[in-house]
Amino acid sequence: MSMAVEQKEMRDDALHGLQLATRLEGIWRTPSGLMGALMSVDHKIIGRRYIVTAFAFLVLGGLLAILMRIQLAGAEQRLLSPDLYNQVFTMHGSTMMFLFAVPVMEAFAVYLVPLMVGTRNIAFPRLNAFSYWMFLFGGCFLWISFAFNVGPDVGWFAYTPLSSLQFTPSKRADVWAQMITFTEVAALAVAVEIIVTVFKQRAPGMTLDRIPLFVWAMLVTAFLVLFAMPSIMVASTSLILDRLVSTRFYDPSSGGNVLLWQHLFWFFGHPEVYIIFIPATGMVSMVLATFARRPVIGYPAIVLSLIATGFLSFGLWVHHMFVTGLPQLGAGLFTASSMLIAVPSGLQIFCWIATLWDGRPVYRTPLLFVLGFIVIFVIGGLSGVMVASVPIDTQVHDTYFVVAHFHYVLIGGAVFPLIGAVYYWFPKICGRMLSERLGRWNFWLAFFGFNIAFFPMHILGLMGMPRRVYTYTPEMGWDRLNLLSSVGAAIFALSFAVLLANAIYSLRRGMPANDNPWDASTLEWATASPPPPQNFDRIPVVTHRDPLWADPNILPVIAGLSAERREVLLTSLADAEPQIREASPEPSIWPLLTAIATTIFFIGSIFTPWAVVWGTPPMAITLIGWFWPTGSKEDEE
Amino acid sequence: MTVNESSVRLLYWAGVALGPAAWAANLQGVYAISHLACEKAMWGGVALSTLLVLASLAGTVISARAVRRRAGTEWSDSAGGGPRTFMAWLGVGTGVLFALVIADQLLAALVISPCLR
Repeated sequence: MSMAVEQKEMRDDALHGLQLATRLEGIWRTPSGLMGALMSVDHKIIGRRYIVTAFAFLVLGGLLAILMRIQLAGAEQRLLSPDLYNQVFTMHGSTMMFLFAVPVMEAFAVYLVPLMVGTRNIAFPRLNAFSYWMFLFGGCFLWISFAFNVGPDVGWFAYTPLSSLQFTPSKRADVWAQMITFTEVAALAVAVEIIVTVFKQRAPGMTLDRIPLFVWAMLVTAFLVLFAMPSIMVASTSLILDRLVSTRFYDPSSGGNVLLWQHLFWFFGHPEVYIIFIPATGMVSMVLATFARRPVIGYPAIVLSLIATGFLSFGLWVHHMFVTGLPQLGAGLFTASSMLIAVPSGLQIFCWIATLWDGRPVYRTPLLFVLGFIVIFVIGGLSGVMVASVPIDTQVHDTYFVVAHFHYVLIGGAVFPLIGAVYYWFPKICGRMLSERLGRWNFWLAFFGFNIAFFPMHILGLMGMPRRVYTYTPEMGWDRLNLLSSVGAAIFALSFAVLLANAIYSLRRGMPANDNPWDASTLEWATASPPPPQNFDRIPVVTHRDPLWADPNILPVIAGLSAERREVLLTSLADAEPQIREASPEPSIWPLLTAIATTIFFIGSIFTPWAVVWGTPPMAITLIGWFWPTGSKEDEE
Repeated sequence: MTVNESSVRLLYWAGVALGPAAWAANLQGVYAISHLACEKAMWGGVALSTLLVLASLAGTVISARAVRRRAGTEWSDSAGGGPRTFMAWLGVGTGVLFALVIADQLLAALVISPCLR
C-alpha cells in the first residue's frame, strides 16, 4: 500500500524551471485575504511582522525617552509628575528590553535563519505563529495598561519589596510581571524553533564549520534564551503569587528573601544583555565579510568567542548586586568573570579589525554602522570593565554613569549593528534598495547624536546624579550637561526619523534589488529578492563556507522532495547528511486562537486565581484543535 | 579505525564540555562556601579551584590530541567541511579560556579576605 502511494507521489525531480517554481509556489503560498493573513505559518511573513512590530515598540519606547530628556533638560522642570515619570522610565526600559531588543533579534533570525541554512520553512512553523501573537498581545497589554494609568512604575527590574503588595498596592506591578510571561513564552518558542532548524534542517553539506556566523550567533542566543528565561518566568510568577494569593517568596518576615528576587532577576538579566548583543555580533560578521570583500578572519575564533561568551554570561549576574552586602569574596569571583568576558569579546573585535585590514572595504551604509558599532561598543566595554570592579561600582552604582555604560553597550553593541543589518537585508526582504544618501545622513546623525546624548552622562554620574530622579535643583550644577544630553537625544531621534523616511520612500521608489545586490556569500542571497514562498526551488548543496563565492556560477542542488505537499529535508547534526523527509505544517488559525486563549488566561490570572481554573479549558480546546490529526502522510524515510 | 583512534574521535569535543563545566562547578562551589569562609579557613575552595583548572586544561589536552594530525587545516582552508577538527579546535580554545577564568577567580579568592563584607 505504502509503496503504491509512494510511486504515485510527484517529486520535484520530475519538474524543472518555471513549472517547478509555479507548483512549489502554489503549495507553499499563504492563502490570500484576512483569514489567510491570520493563518500564515510562513517564516518570512511572521519574521516581517515581528520586525515591524518590534520597531513600532522602538518608536513608542523612544518617544518616552524623549519625554524624559525634555523633563531633565533643565532643573526643576514640571512636564512630568513624579508618578508619571516613574511609569515613563519603567515603560521605556521594559519596552526597549522586552518588546524591542530581544524580539527584533529573534525576528531577524525567524526571517533569515531558514534562508541561510537553505531550508523551506522554520521548524515548528505553527509555534512560530503562536510566538508572534503572544508577543503582540503581551506588548499591547502593557501599553494599553499604560494608557489607562496602570503602567508599571517599579523599574524594568521590579525589585522587591518595592513591587510587593505593601508598597505597590495597585495592579501596576502585576501588569509588568505578566507582560514578562507573555514575552518570555514568545522568546522561548522562537529559541526552540531556531535550535531545531539549525541542528536538523541545514542544507546537505553545511557541516558545523560551514554554518554562517549569524546562524552560529543565533544558535548560541537560542540556548541562552532557553536557560535564562525560565529564571525570570519563575520570578515574575512567584511575584504574582505573593501579590495575589499571599505566598511569601519575597517576604523576610515569613521566611522569604528579597534578595532571592535579585538573584533570579539578574540570573536572567545579565544573559539578557548577551541575548541582545550576540545576534548583533553575528550581523556584524556577515556585513563585515561582504563589505570587506573577503571571508571573516578567524572563523573558529569567532565561534569560540560566541560559545565562551554564552557560557560566561551566566556567571556575571552578581555584579549587579555588589552593593547588597554580599561577602566580598563572592563578589570577587564575579569581578573575575566580568573582566574575563572581555577576552572573547576582544577576540572577536580583533578578528573583525583584521578582516577589514586585509580586505578591500567598500564603505556603504551597513559597513558605516558596523564601524560605528566598534567605536561605541569598545567605549561601553571599557566602562564595563570599570564597573566590574567592586570599589568603582560601589561609587557609581545607581548613578548616570551606569546609564551611560549600558546605553553604550546596548545601543552601540546592538542597535548600531541592527540598523546596519536593516540596510543590509532590506533589499532581500523588500526587493528594493534603501537610499544610500539618506543612509549616510542616518548614520552620521545617529553616531553624533548618540555620543552627544550619552557621553555627558558618564560625567553626570561621576558628579553624583542618581538614576530615576524626575528632576533636580539648580544648585546641583547638572543642568548644562543635561541640556547637552537632551540635544543629543533629539539628534539621535532625528536619525531614526531619517531611517523611517528612507524605508517608506524606498519601499515605493527604491531601486529594485537583484538576487544578490551586495555580492554576498551566503545562501539567503541565492534566491530571489524577496524570496518566493518556498524559499528555494531546489535545496542547495553546500561545499564551502562561502558557497556563493566558492563558485559564483554554480550552486549544486539536490532533488527528491515532494512536489505535492509541504516538505522539508532533515539532515544530520555534525555533517549535515540527508536523513529524512519531513512534512511541514499547513497554515492554521489554531495558533492565533491558542494565543487568544492564553492571553485571557494570563490577564485573568493577575486578577483572580480562579482564572487558572476557568482559563484552562479554552486553552485545552485550542491546543486539541491545533494538534488534531489531519490525515496527512506520516514521515517518510 | 583502531579502538584508540575511535576514542580520540569520540572525545574531540572534550574541551568544549570540560572547560565550561569546570568553571560552572568552581563558580557555584566557591560562591556557595564563601558565606562560611570567614568562620574557618577554606583551603578546600583553593584546592577545588586548582583541581578544576586542571580539569579544564585536561579538556584542552584531549581535544588537542584529536586535532594534532589535522591541526593546520581549519586555519589555512576557509572551505570548511571538517566539523570534528573544527569542534576539537573549539575544545582547545575553550579549555584554555575557562582555565584562565578559573585561575583568575582563584587569585581573587587568595587576595580577598573572606571576612570582608
